[in-house]
Amino acid sequence: MSFSSTAGYLARRAAQKERVRILYRRALKDTLNWAVHRHLFYKDASDLRERFEANRHVENLDTIDKLIENGEASYDKWRHPDPYIVPWAPGGSKFTRNPIPPAGIEIIYDYGREDH
Amino acid sequence: MALRAAVLRHLRVPVQFHALARRECQPTPCSGGSLRLFSSHDDHMTKDEVIERVLSVIKCHPKVDPSKVSPDVHFEKDLGLDSLDTVEIVMALEEEFKLEIPDKEADKIDSCNLAIEYVYNHPMAS
Repeated sequence: MSFSSTAGYLARRAAQKERVRILYRRALKDTLNWAVHRHLFYKDASDLRERFEANRHVENLDTIDKLIENGEASYDKWRHPDPYIVPWAPGGSKFTRNPIPPAGIEIIYDYGREDH
Repeated sequence: MALRAAVLRHLRVPVQFHALARRECQPTPCSGGSLRLFSSHDDHMTKDEVIERVLSVIKCHPKVDPSKVSPDVHFEKDLGLDSLDTVEIVMALEEEFKLEIPDKEADKIDSCNLAIEYVYNHPMAS
């Protein structure tokens, strides 16, 4: 009985830690999206870190769940409408643009005279 | 004026020769030199280059002691970082190698070895 409750506690704790890590990662990326310059980002990032550190020592599982939900809600509210996407990724500026032809293939520019 | 025109008429600068000579002096992109093509993905990295750049990123993190960093350290166990610092390092690696790692995969990267393997095997890393 106590073993299963301990296992349940640990599992819930691990899930919460993962949620916090992913929330922090997304929030940090979003901070970078909102920051116009790097030196502004550093300040915002350390502020964000402080908001996470403030609840570092909370032990009660239900309180933690509530805090995570609050954090996710505030992340959702302040999400950037046009986030930076790495150029090659879907939605990025280079996605499916100008794919390099494979080696050995060459293009013959024969405008309008292809059938001669 | 006449002198200037005369001098200019006789002056020949071997442009092509200079350009070629300079190109020979430049390091090749793969050797980890100063030339990095920031918009291309054709520069395949060698394992050594990946290791060197991953380590330099980790050493730049303010909470890391640079002398402790080696290719097989664990971020939390060996470097004394916490999980949020690990998140920051993974994000710095993403920026360094122009990657976008999905959240679930980035969450798994918790040691230097894993980071090097992931970056080295990623087709878009450069």
